[in-house]
Amino acid sequence: MYIEEYLDVFISGLTNGSVYALMAVGLTLVYGVSRAFNFAYGSFYSLGGYFAWVLMVYLGLSGGYLMVLLMAVPFLIGFGYVTEKVIVAPLRKRSDWEVKVMMITLGLALFLDNGYQVLFGPRMKSLPPIMTGAVELGPIYIANQDIMIFVLAISGILAFRWLLNNTRIGMAVRAVAQNPIGAKIVGIPKNRIFAATFGISTVMVGLGGILLAQKYFISPMGGWDILVKSWVITAFGGMGSIRGGLLAAFILGMLEAYVGYVFGMTWVLFALFGVLLATLAIRPQGLMGKWG
Amino acid sequence: MKRIIPIVLLLTAILTLTGMAHAGDVIKVGVPLAMTGPYTDTGDNYWKGIKMAIDEINADGGLLGKQLEPIRFDTQEFAPERVMQGADYLVGQEKVDSVHAGWAGWGQDVRAYGKYTAPFFADDGSQAAVDVFKEDPEKYANIFQLTDTDINQATSMFNVLMALPYEYPNKKVVIINADDAWGTGVGDTLETKFKEAGWEVALREVVPYGTREWGPIMTRIRRIKPAIIHVEIVSAPEVITFFRQFMRTPTDTILSYGYSIVPREVVETMGKEADGLIGEVPTAMPTPEAPTPEAQAWVERFTEIWGHQPQAGSWAAYSGVKAWAAAVVAVGDEKDHAAVNRHIATVGYKGETGWWKWDEDHVMRGGGDVPFGHYQVQDGEMVTIFTDPPTRPYKDYKFIKPRWIK
Amino acid sequence: MDWKRMSGTMALIYGVMALMPLFVGGTDHLMHILIMCLIWAVVASCWDLIMGFAGIFSFGQVAFFVIGAYASAILALTFGIHPLAAMVLAGVVAAAIGVLVALPCLRLKGAYIALVTFAVHMILEPFLKSDMGRAIGTGGSRGILTIPPMELFGITFGAGDKVAVFYAALVLAVVCSVIIMLVIRSFWGTAFLALKDSAGFAASLGVSAFKYKLAVFALTSFLTGLAGGFYGHYIGMLSTRMLGIDLFVMLMIMLVLGGIGQFPGAILGAIVTVTFNEALAPLGTYRPMVLGALVVVLVLALPDGIIGLLRNLVPGRGAAEPAVAESTAANAGGQG
Repeated sequence: MYIEEYLDVFISGLTNGSVYALMAVGLTLVYGVSRAFNFAYGSFYSLGGYFAWVLMVYLGLSGGYLMVLLMAVPFLIGFGYVTEKVIVAPLRKRSDWEVKVMMITLGLALFLDNGYQVLFGPRMKSLPPIMTGAVELGPIYIANQDIMIFVLAISGILAFRWLLNNTRIGMAVRAVAQNPIGAKIVGIPKNRIFAATFGISTVMVGLGGILLAQKYFISPMGGWDILVKSWVITAFGGMGSIRGGLLAAFILGMLEAYVGYVFGMTWVLFALFGVLLATLAIRPQGLMGKWG
Repeated sequence: MKRIIPIVLLLTAILTLTGMAHAGDVIKVGVPLAMTGPYTDTGDNYWKGIKMAIDEINADGGLLGKQLEPIRFDTQEFAPERVMQGADYLVGQEKVDSVHAGWAGWGQDVRAYGKYTAPFFADDGSQAAVDVFKEDPEKYANIFQLTDTDINQATSMFNVLMALPYEYPNKKVVIINADDAWGTGVGDTLETKFKEAGWEVALREVVPYGTREWGPIMTRIRRIKPAIIHVEIVSAPEVITFFRQFMRTPTDTILSYGYSIVPREVVETMGKEADGLIGEVPTAMPTPEAPTPEAQAWVERFTEIWGHQPQAGSWAAYSGVKAWAAAVVAVGDEKDHAAVNRHIATVGYKGETGWWKWDEDHVMRGGGDVPFGHYQVQDGEMVTIFTDPPTRPYKDYKFIKPRWIK
Repeated sequence: MDWKRMSGTMALIYGVMALMPLFVGGTDHLMHILIMCLIWAVVASCWDLIMGFAGIFSFGQVAFFVIGAYASAILALTFGIHPLAAMVLAGVVAAAIGVLVALPCLRLKGAYIALVTFAVHMILEPFLKSDMGRAIGTGGSRGILTIPPMELFGITFGAGDKVAVFYAALVLAVVCSVIIMLVIRSFWGTAFLALKDSAGFAASLGVSAFKYKLAVFALTSFLTGLAGGFYGHYIGMLSTRMLGIDLFVMLMIMLVLGGIGQFPGAILGAIVTVTFNEALAPLGTYRPMVLGALVVVLVLALPDGIIGLLRNLVPGRGAAEPAVAESTAANAGGQG
């Protein structure tokens, strides 16, 4: 049989999965902590990509990806934080606020995506590759670029876990997610935590955008695919469950690769939603989600 | 500040529009193109050609002494009611005397604009649009297609692939196309053609736009080792990622990109990396050296105005405006739509490369002075290696065996 | 909002609409915009009923609209059924699919329902384009280009006679709106408000969430499918391009503008949104950007949409209470 082909596809799936994981974690975090569903999540992905493009290509700054990452993190945190404060927070007190958050973020997505189109033009932009060359192990061929993406994505997730478990703000975030009223009683500034989680999630997806732009390019409407995929992964793993999201990302990454390989690319979307529906029919809260 | 700019723009736009309505003797020209959404870039290419033609005519003292005034309409994503609204707005309300579109709705446009009499030029390249026309050629007498159909273009691609001065190592082909009308039309035609010629279509994939990860398909391609892979997805990120992932462990395969070679980002992003790719452009202006001095002058003019080489569609749209203008001059009255349409259909138009002739289906068929151009990327730029039909090498440009073929 | 104000507002909106052809009847382009206003008013009202009143985050309204449009076109073309009958059957098809989607959905919560219903939207396009789609007559990626117009009493309700189509659309919109209003006014409406307020308490009183939610899913899918069928016969052609993000966003803006759960606000929202979008056309490439910014500003500035704003401007019986759904619940409950 074609053992090496299956390995080849496995590596595809692993690369997919690591990137999905990085991106879905942010969406699930925000939903878990504040029940806000962010429709502009895909536009934040593009924001990261365009930010890096402006620095590296348009301004032509030297310093490579390290410099970009160092500048992107504060920028993205700030952007997410301010966005939450200005447009999401005022809605919390209103009736039907969950729908209104979806709508306002959809409006923001429309504004941002078309803003990119006006500012940067409709054509795609590309970034220099983070690494070239490849590792060859017999018949198996792994591009260094993919290894780099995998390593960086996993380190991003680990850093995020460390932040949640070992810092004051991380613990506050977890407290608010687990018990909002209790958190308020012990004096955790809930509103600031909401904004902070929004900022952190923007960093996660924005970094995903930078990481992937050098392989998949940046275009004004390119974020929609990312939003839909992240959404599927988040729901599959259980909204608000970070471990569930990670598991789901790798399962769906693999599923996508193997369905594409065995049945053809046409069936990938059907398969993704099929598996999601089947899972939700058995476990309405997703793989590891909790009700609430 | 950000919110003030659009409001100011809105006000100035309204003022200029109302101002224009009072301006004396003008001929209105409708331009329905995608100005927002995913088709913005192609819309932009057509607009550059149309704008250039209108400016030239106006600079020469106008048409029948009147200045041309373009009226734009945003067709967005070509939803049926949007296409119809464009027709009702431009022709019904603004009473334009000709309409110049690019991609316009693949048949939806024929029905929407066929209700009126003003000449309508589209670049659909679609058999579906021709089928609608054939239902009632008299009613649709104002519809003109600037390019040949998907079926004929695919046939031409096949003919040139078979005519390449190259010995195929086997008779296996892989066809990958996007799931839109254009991609499916080309994919279906190629599949039939290859089968008729005794080839094995080892893999046929229909993929959605947005596909960036080709790993699973590449795995299968490496086992098949096809002699030809044809990719028909008119969007740069898809075809560039495909090429780069193919090049990791390439097989001895001719990569034929068809119309997917068109987005300028393909050669601009990859430069010499793209060397060896093959593609096709209908109603083409062959480059790097144009076929006639007039055509060469046109290319230079275009490049000077817009700061880059003409892209697919720009020249076709430009020629549509010029063909209409020539007919109006011959008829002597822009309001006599029936006579103008008849003139375009029967006489045609003499352009930079020679005569444009529409056939009885009002389609500008590939061939004659306006053939399909077949390109190979050489030294980072698109070079015409063949024109078709009839299939013949273009000037002294030669097909070069791609570097990845052993 | 009490039902007198509700029906009064509706009568006013539709009354003004009915007079419009007197002024712009000769201009096809404007008539087309008015017709689209009415069609979207139906779809937006249905969406409001399911999301604003029933509290189900259904994101499948555009999908049901397209399903209705395709079903009606295919029935009329393939089986030669009269377009009017085909429209009703298309509504039934949409309702059946609606129920199929609702069955798994109603066990889910919030954003999950949104995802599953949106999944229907996402999958519809590849399905219509696929070989399966072609087999049932969707025309694949070409679409359907020759849908017969509706003929009734010797009048052809096609793209050629826009005034006739307009009044047909008006009848459709009024009928649908009245049905929606009756639902809101009925025991159903009260049950939904009770469920939204306190699901546990309502259940203990014997209100079956599942039954009512399923029924509302079926009803809104039916009406949306009906509107879709009407659209298909009017325009005469269909393609999967209706499933782009454009239409989805526009409908959402209609809801924001009209006010969620503020029926008949959605009708007003549809009319204002379509008009506004056309007025922004001179902005060209800037249009969607400005539209997006407007959504953000409007959601923040108008908590209950235009209807809420109007209610504050024109004091009436219902205006004394704070403009939140809870108060409407008390109001409707008191009369029901």
